[in-house]
Amino acid sequence: MSIVLLRVDERLIHGQVVVGWGEYTHMEQIAVVDDEISASPWEQELYCLGVPANVNAVFATVEEAKQAVPGWRDDPLRVTVLLRDCQSLERLAADGTLEGLEVNLGGIHSAPGRERVLPYLFLSEADRTSLQRVAEAGVTVTARDLPASKPVPLSHLIAGCQ
Amino acid sequence: MTDFPAGTSWRVMLRSLFIQGSWNYETLIGTGFAFSLLPVLRYLHADDDPALREALARHAEIFNSHPYLANVAVGAVARLEAERVDPLVIVRFKSALRGSLGSLGDQLVWSAWRPAAALLGILLLLVGAVWWVAVGAFLLVYNALNCGLRVWGWRIGTTAGMNVGRAIREAPFQSLTLRATEIGSLLAGACVAFATPAAVNDPWAAGVNGAAVALGIWLGLRTRRAMAFALGVVVVIGIVNGLSK
Repeated sequence: MSIVLLRVDERLIHGQVVVGWGEYTHMEQIAVVDDEISASPWEQELYCLGVPANVNAVFATVEEAKQAVPGWRDDPLRVTVLLRDCQSLERLAADGTLEGLEVNLGGIHSAPGRERVLPYLFLSEADRTSLQRVAEAGVTVTARDLPASKPVPLSHLIAGCQ
Repeated sequence: MTDFPAGTSWRVMLRSLFIQGSWNYETLIGTGFAFSLLPVLRYLHADDDPALREALARHAEIFNSHPYLANVAVGAVARLEAERVDPLVIVRFKSALRGSLGSLGDQLVWSAWRPAAALLGILLLLVGAVWWVAVGAFLLVYNALNCGLRVWGWRIGTTAGMNVGRAIREAPFQSLTLRATEIGSLLAGACVAFATPAAVNDPWAAGVNGAAVALGIWLGLRTRRAMAFALGVVVVIGIVNGLSK
């Protein structure tokens, strides 16, 4: 299995992922899974500026990623999969595509309707429902901004909102 | 190119020094971004108060990037605002750019430049410089990059606008990061050499030791195995040296 990191982070490719997690996972490929960005070359160009020279970045829609995940799981390359919202994750995880994997919630920020759960994590009712479904699809959901922090399990994240 | 009056550019530059002043987990440096951009918005909406308020509110939302590189985004957004680009496109532009500015800045400043500048200060202390010379050298070298990036960022942003990606790709970030790391490793080697008491009696041996350590670390940057090997060799030499005295 070579999905070394599966992460929900609104910022997608940024310092914490490239430097913080990159030095820990030694990733060789970043796969950004997002319908909107997959259709937008100018945004892709900007997102790619911070990718280190030895890392390759690809963009996929959720549907394309569903097809690609089995390949990534067996890929000799060490792949980091990034999404920017819980709803895309829920769609990707449906039908057990991500079964047995661990997903890391690394940064969902304040927005109307979202409540603060952790300093770097704000969740809405819809986000929590999506995450429950992701967990039901066989994925371990935890929040963790950097490799050095302690992972916070989903039960705490949901309880923290009450 | 969209030109802003010199006074506006200066105000943005000074304000950008405080871009982290209202850092918080909800908007990160978003309010700092709006604070830095405010002179531009005032210039563009000089006699339209509601438009100014609306634009300021849009830019006070969440934003993050490396603080020294944030001016690339401030400059580019200034130009997009001047060109009256659709606010929704500007939001997407900022989202796509912020992460890259963060990771480029983290790699260059936090991982390479700051340690190298600090090692320079430490080395000066070890070779016997007065403390304020060492501190001054650190501050000077460190802030040369800090200020340089801020000025460059504003200039490249306002010049390139939407095409700032190309300008960033043409900038020598990777080679600058690598050079700073190499110089840092040389300085680390020299620090190790001068930190040993023998250096006072035998500066030549200290120099050779330093070069060996620096070479080891330099190789280590390329392969992790060489790093471990070099550290092992240094430890063994150190023990043998210590026992033979």
